[in-house]
Amino acid sequence: MFQAILNQELNPVKESKISLETEMTSQDTIALSSVEVFSPSLDKYTFGSTIKYISEKDLEIFQGLPLSDFLQQRTGLFLRQYGSGMLSSLTMRGTSAGHNAVFWNGLPINSPSLGQSDFSILPVGGFDHAAIYFGSGGALYGTDAIGGAVHLINKLNFDEGHQVKIASVFGSFGRWNQQVEYSFSGKKLSTRTRIYRNFSENDFLFRNITKMGTPIERQNQVRLEQVGVMQDLAWSVNPKNLISTSIWWNETNREIQPIMGSNTNDFQSDRNLRWVLDYFLFGKNKIWNVKSGLVRDDQTFNGSFNQTIQYFLSGDMDWEINSLWNSKSGIRITEIQGNLSTYQAKESRIELYQSTNFRPSERLSFSVNLRQLVFEGNLAPFTPSIGGEWEVWRNDSHQIHFTSNLARSFKVPTLNDRFWIPGGNPELQSEKSWSGESSLNYLFKKGDFELSQKITVYRMKVDNWIIWLPKGNVWSPENIREVHNSGLEYGLGANQKAGEWDLNMNVNYAKTRAINQTVISKNDRSKGNQLPFTPLHKFQSIIMVGKGTFSTFLNYQRVGERFSGTDGSGRLEPYQLWDVGGNYNWSIRNLDVNLGFQINNLFNTDYMVMPLRAMPGRNYQLNLNVKL
Amino acid sequence: MKNLRLLLPLFWLTFFVASCSNDTTDPIDVPAGEFEKGVLIMNEGAFGVNDGEVFHYDPSTGVIKKDIFRAKNFRPFGGLIQDMVEAEGRIYLVANTGKVEIVAPNDFDLLGGISLGLNISRSLVAVNQKLFISDWGPYDADFNNPDSFVAIVNSLNGGEIAKKIAVSSRPEGMIAAGNFIYVACTAAKKYDVISVSSETVAASIAVEGNPTEFLEIEGRLFLYAQDDNHAIFHEINPGNYALVRTVKIPLANSTPIIALGEGSEVLIVTSTGWPDYNDAVAKVSVNSGQVINPSFYVGNGIYGLGFKIEGKEIYVAEHNGFQGNGSVFILSAAGLLVKTLEVGKAPSGFIFK
Repeated sequence: MFQAILNQELNPVKESKISLETEMTSQDTIALSSVEVFSPSLDKYTFGSTIKYISEKDLEIFQGLPLSDFLQQRTGLFLRQYGSGMLSSLTMRGTSAGHNAVFWNGLPINSPSLGQSDFSILPVGGFDHAAIYFGSGGALYGTDAIGGAVHLINKLNFDEGHQVKIASVFGSFGRWNQQVEYSFSGKKLSTRTRIYRNFSENDFLFRNITKMGTPIERQNQVRLEQVGVMQDLAWSVNPKNLISTSIWWNETNREIQPIMGSNTNDFQSDRNLRWVLDYFLFGKNKIWNVKSGLVRDDQTFNGSFNQTIQYFLSGDMDWEINSLWNSKSGIRITEIQGNLSTYQAKESRIELYQSTNFRPSERLSFSVNLRQLVFEGNLAPFTPSIGGEWEVWRNDSHQIHFTSNLARSFKVPTLNDRFWIPGGNPELQSEKSWSGESSLNYLFKKGDFELSQKITVYRMKVDNWIIWLPKGNVWSPENIREVHNSGLEYGLGANQKAGEWDLNMNVNYAKTRAINQTVISKNDRSKGNQLPFTPLHKFQSIIMVGKGTFSTFLNYQRVGERFSGTDGSGRLEPYQLWDVGGNYNWSIRNLDVNLGFQINNLFNTDYMVMPLRAMPGRNYQLNLNVKL
Repeated sequence: MKNLRLLLPLFWLTFFVASCSNDTTDPIDVPAGEFEKGVLIMNEGAFGVNDGEVFHYDPSTGVIKKDIFRAKNFRPFGGLIQDMVEAEGRIYLVANTGKVEIVAPNDFDLLGGISLGLNISRSLVAVNQKLFISDWGPYDADFNNPDSFVAIVNSLNGGEIAKKIAVSSRPEGMIAAGNFIYVACTAAKKYDVISVSSETVAASIAVEGNPTEFLEIEGRLFLYAQDDNHAIFHEINPGNYALVRTVKIPLANSTPIIALGEGSEVLIVTSTGWPDYNDAVAKVSVNSGQVINPSFYVGNGIYGLGFKIEGKEIYVAEHNGFQGNGSVFILSAAGLLVKTLEVGKAPSGFIFK
């Protein structure tokens, strides 16, 4: 995809941009005679929306590292990182950590008790590529997708024969990530087994600003270890029937980095089991899909055990009615069991969804999506969305697209919100949002030069926002906050080839305003202020220069000031980081080798993403990927 | 004439020196620090952000100085301040995040601290040039604190912990009286008595209610405790640490937040709990065992109380849901609002100077 190459937030312009797409795919993956195993297109019913694609190549040097590291370093997104390798929650378009849905091969994997995912325990290696949907996507994806949605996807191929991949990362502070993968695929069967272990002592040096003399200390109590196994299988029974399944076991054991100035000695263990089974029936103009799955999360914190299990069963039919109309209708049933340290809960959810595409002309396309979720007899807000894309102008070199989208979204209160003892509030309503956005997308291609730019402006209103407030001696959640979000996102991608030379540049900028509209008491001064830990500005850019088999990059990110209080108190300093690295590829017969070296935080900047959570200074990383 | 021209500057020089020498006899030799008068406001800070700080309020000018620890020491306090104790010419900032910082009362210049060996420190007393720090100890898997202790540091300026004395669960307030240090152990519903000479627990005495704080009321030693329906004052004989009597005042929903008022009057914060969560300040008399006024002040999220003897003003601190900065309301003796201050996160205590 064009977007994958330029690594920026471009709209999937689908059929209307075919001329560019076909020329670009050769950069994304090595041309093979293999056939990709079918999986439903994530962007089919998303006209008017913004999606960012993250390719396998983008993720290559992050092998075994947390997805949070990639998103923080290589995108305009901001994650609240509570230390190095510690809890990392994503905030999209100024919403909270629980306001984005996360999917693994189409299964929602947000914890139903916490309502969010910890991106620090989603290792690169647990999926092959990713897509990030910006803005309210409740109609497409269901609960939680108020600020956006993240899709992690496995990709299998047929007809590739035997393959072995070994990926290693060695780095500062005892970092050693090791992954081994074996795959075999014939014309009808594809199987892949992957195991990994990621380890880090994580004992970086930091300046302890909470101690007399602000001494340089070595971080202790931060060791982390992650192990995992993944098995994928796809079977093309015949041209009309396909079965595919993936199972992923991931275990992370972490010492929890103490906040500076404290002597906590916490330990957390997360064990996650995810399994998905898909059956596809390909009919004339119709694709039927039955999906079932299981997501089990076991978390032990200092001996306190919490477990949630989600069972999924869904079915849908994607129908190409004619050249103008496409339709997808479906149903998803979810059963949730929660065995938490202070309560037990069960919940049934059922949701119906309908998506429709209408393309009245080559240059004009619309998507309409509808969804209704019911949980335990309670109606979640009905969520419609409508989006469109207009090819304003096009010639051999230039394309201009205008896209726009209006969407409603929602979040069902988490199990903890409703049932935690003490303080859970069973009367909570779903959080709900309205979101609108418009984008202008410019593509230019002349000879060996390609340029794309996209600017998006959006507005969003989130109501019934749940916050936990102290009630006497206990804390309890309430639907109390209303937030108005608005912002601007800009992306630029440029690529110039000159003989063996290849020059790439990507830029991402996000301006995010998330303004609280409510007060919780007569003395509350938070109305009209930016939400805590939400930077108004984030800028990221990367320049890559390659010649033949050698390439280098220089990456830069700047995160603006944040505040810890709702009233603008507790300012956190802006910070900027530079990373630099190089990569060398070579092939010997059937052996492909990729060797990379990078320096993160080149200028040894002393910074904190969250208050008093130390982050590492300059550090080094060596990557070695072997494929045979 | 020439001599006269020389004499004139000499005259002025003499005058100047004389005027300077007059100044040197003034007490300015020992400069009055900027924080030696006024009100120190302890802001506990927000959980997870650990932005506890101290503000200074000058009632005569109305000026508030923010973050005086950071301003003087060029770094954040970096902890949740549980208690602020003035003793032995020092101010001790006790963080429940496991440290104590020691500053000079006049300018908040750092004098020392204790950073190793503490878990959830709660309060401090200085006795015989030593520091005694109450600490809940670590949580167990059920979030109980069975390994509570009182840590002893052999210097008023902090340093390493010399000894830990195991005490009953969740020690809070302490007081030194006679040859003993009394420790209110709230979870255990006991007060422990530490012998100053042997530095061992001499007794552990069960009491009614959840004890939290000691008060000296008209020369007598009381331990304040609460249950659902009463504010309880246990009188203790400081000579032999025996429980003398218990005064149970019928006051529902009393909390550990109190301030000693005039005579035997005590101000107590009450909170109704679910579903209304209305907070109030009640005034009780320990001598009479009666509630004088059950809702002297009504508020929301009351987190600290103080009584300023001069002017008999009452300082009420509200945390504003811990979402941002808190507020302090200054009330007259009659309960009328005199002034509102914006202070730091979770204001919870005062030192009036």
